[in-house]
Amino acid sequence: MKSTVLKTIRVILALLIFIPLLLYFCDFANIFPQPLHGLAHIQVVPAVLAGSVGILIFLFLLTFLFGRVYCSVICPLGILQDIIAWLTRRGKKKNKKRRWFAYSKPQTILRYSLLALCVAFLIFGITVPLLYLDPYSNFGRISVNLFRPVVMEGNNLLNWVALKFNNYNFYQVTIYTITSLSLAISIIALLVVGVMALLRGRLFCNTICPVGSLLGLISKFSVFRITLDHSKCTSCGLCEKSCKSQCIGSKEKAVDNSRCVACFNCLDRCKTNGIKYQFAYRKNNVPAVQHERETVSVPIISEAPQHPFHGMGRRSFLLASAGAMATLPLIPAWAKKGEIVDVTKLTPITPPGSKSLAHFKKHCTACHLCITHCPQQILKPAGFNFGLDYAFKPHLVFYEMAFCNFECTVCSEICPNGAIKKLTSEEKSVTQVGIARFVKEDCVVYTDRTSCGACSEHCPTRAVKMEPFEGALTLPHVYDELCIGCGGCESICPVRPVKAINIQAVEVHQVAEKEKEEKQKEVDQDSLDFGF
Amino acid sequence: MKRRDFLRTSAAIGVATLTFDKLQAAMETNTVMVEAVPDMVAVMGGEPAQLLERALKEMGGIEKYVKTGQSVVIKPNIGWDKKPDFAANTNPDLVKALIEQCFKAGAKKVSVFDHTCDNWQKCYENSGIKKAAEAAGATVIPGNDAVYYKEVKLPQAQILKSTKIHQALLEADVWFNVPVLKHHDGAQMSIAMKNYMGIVWDRPYFHSNDLQQCIADVCTYVKKPALNIVDAYRCMRKNGPQGRSVSDTSVLKSLIVSKDIVAADTAAIGLFNQVQEMDIQKVGHIANGEKMKLGTQNINKLNVKRIKL
Repeated sequence: MKSTVLKTIRVILALLIFIPLLLYFCDFANIFPQPLHGLAHIQVVPAVLAGSVGILIFLFLLTFLFGRVYCSVICPLGILQDIIAWLTRRGKKKNKKRRWFAYSKPQTILRYSLLALCVAFLIFGITVPLLYLDPYSNFGRISVNLFRPVVMEGNNLLNWVALKFNNYNFYQVTIYTITSLSLAISIIALLVVGVMALLRGRLFCNTICPVGSLLGLISKFSVFRITLDHSKCTSCGLCEKSCKSQCIGSKEKAVDNSRCVACFNCLDRCKTNGIKYQFAYRKNNVPAVQHERETVSVPIISEAPQHPFHGMGRRSFLLASAGAMATLPLIPAWAKKGEIVDVTKLTPITPPGSKSLAHFKKHCTACHLCITHCPQQILKPAGFNFGLDYAFKPHLVFYEMAFCNFECTVCSEICPNGAIKKLTSEEKSVTQVGIARFVKEDCVVYTDRTSCGACSEHCPTRAVKMEPFEGALTLPHVYDELCIGCGGCESICPVRPVKAINIQAVEVHQVAEKEKEEKQKEVDQDSLDFGF
Repeated sequence: MKRRDFLRTSAAIGVATLTFDKLQAAMETNTVMVEAVPDMVAVMGGEPAQLLERALKEMGGIEKYVKTGQSVVIKPNIGWDKKPDFAANTNPDLVKALIEQCFKAGAKKVSVFDHTCDNWQKCYENSGIKKAAEAAGATVIPGNDAVYYKEVKLPQAQILKSTKIHQALLEADVWFNVPVLKHHDGAQMSIAMKNYMGIVWDRPYFHSNDLQQCIADVCTYVKKPALNIVDAYRCMRKNGPQGRSVSDTSVLKSLIVSKDIVAADTAAIGLFNQVQEMDIQKVGHIANGEKMKLGTQNINKLNVKRIKL
């Protein structure tokens, strides 16, 4: 097999997964087929949280057999880093020396500490560290908050042009679902990951990413892996210079397979055919112990080309993270300015299917996939207002003419984490996520003595009924047991700034009652007259 | 010069400033008006397409209202994400039949839209109207965003002095107001006048500024529908405007067609009262409309044709 074939296959497979997933994350109009969300389900962290044992066994087996191909082919954030690096031709021999990679020490303590941190918190049902470190969720947030708006505004531009020609093939969309905080966290993530990818290849995957660290534990012992043939290797360093994981030590002819992401970039570099991706358990080919590299790494570093960026990656990462940490607490204060307090919104309304606030918090890592696909754009990322453990996670926000569609179950169908469990339309239409709270003294019927009834009009369950008030006027009344908290009433209530009817979250979702149906009144067509 | 002649001439001159074609059309329309076309036609006892065909025939034929090469807008009620048998939206067969009639009369383009209450794509889909309209060759256009609506002054209005109206309707040569007859919790009844709320963008304004007056106000918009066609094939008796189940509806197999929007609503309530009591006094926007000279509640004074198929 030619040495470039494996790399070509890797690139093709990666694009086959990355492009559909990116499109699916930007697909505000639900054009692409829904089964594409399967690409989110095969990510490690969603599979862990959803308890998809089969997927996990498959992924671990894949890693045990072939090394961390997951990081090169399946993980969208990994592929995004490759694309960023590719755009700048990093690690290509045609370029200047400073664009080459060089071996670096593994950040063993850091990477396993972060992994342990995520696991420990997860055991106690806290997803906070994972939310910031999970590559899939970060990719999701970057796509939804940075790439999707570009697509949407592109659509609006096309629509604007089309409207000039009286063409209605496009339709206008207004973006409601991006908050300054969600934008900030996505920009920070893209900057951190992008800068690290540019300076130090897959440093993110090998120090920060808990998934990379977890799979690294397996890939150390993988059946097929990159190995250096000691008899052929001349320690020329060509493979090392192309290694974005910075895990090939050409001097001592060893590869750190816990960090190798099986990108196969090194294979065609070797002039003596001394580097191979091969079965590692042959008798005559005892794999060297590769993870204890501290001793040999020193000379490598000293002999590495003295390019100006050398060693900047970690430093810049730390700087960027510190900067991010320092600004984060400031953001809510700035975002909160001028906000009107609605007492019913002190707890978040979680999406139907999320069972309870506790279940949702325990499973959601804020990938924002549901936010993209909510046809009403009412799923909005929270700020820090509901606590640290709810930050960036979606909650229901009703605004003018947008509320939860009565029988819509989209978010429950696509959530890869099992944070929103699948619902049928019948189940959805009785899932109570909140209850409408009506304040008579604020209602226009009461204050202005004019007809309204907009809330009752929009209620799909007849939980809000107009009942006799004065003369022909009627006033809303809420029947709690019928209310599902869809927000139809709140969305249309004309009272400002705080509406007269507002949904208050139900922390543990309930099953609402259904109003009894009456028999249809048959009309005797013969006796029917015009009546005027 | 008699007043009628004066009005006729000034109308003709007004239209003539646009194109010569339209001047011709206006002249023809004026000739038609002196002929004995009834003020209202009510037909009962048939399928939606039959009812419409007969009613239009009595009203002088579709050609009186749609001229060759004109662009037509049909404004049904597509407000809710409900199946046709809920009668929450206009009957799709009626919409389809009307589109076919318009094309028969030589319409260049027929567009259908509503500013929906539920998610617009779901409403268009589940009401069956998108499918029916597209099958008949009409363009179903979105009304989901403020970008489609343009500010229009309503000088005769009392409260709603200006509002944003869908540009498709502003640009159309002719439009038809095609509501469904139903009960409405807020406005009491939703018929032809209430159907106007679907051509505007800012509805919450109506609700917070005397709904019944604002409904009458928006009906003063200068470009009146060629006809108000009230779908009473199946009406929603109660729990309107969405309805809770099919049991909230009654099949009346009727259609009321009139240029006079107040009369159309009045007549429709008469029909409605046979299956569900509704005091017209409670439906404030009808009396307000009459006060604003949009039409008359006194149907006896009109030339009405009642037909049972």
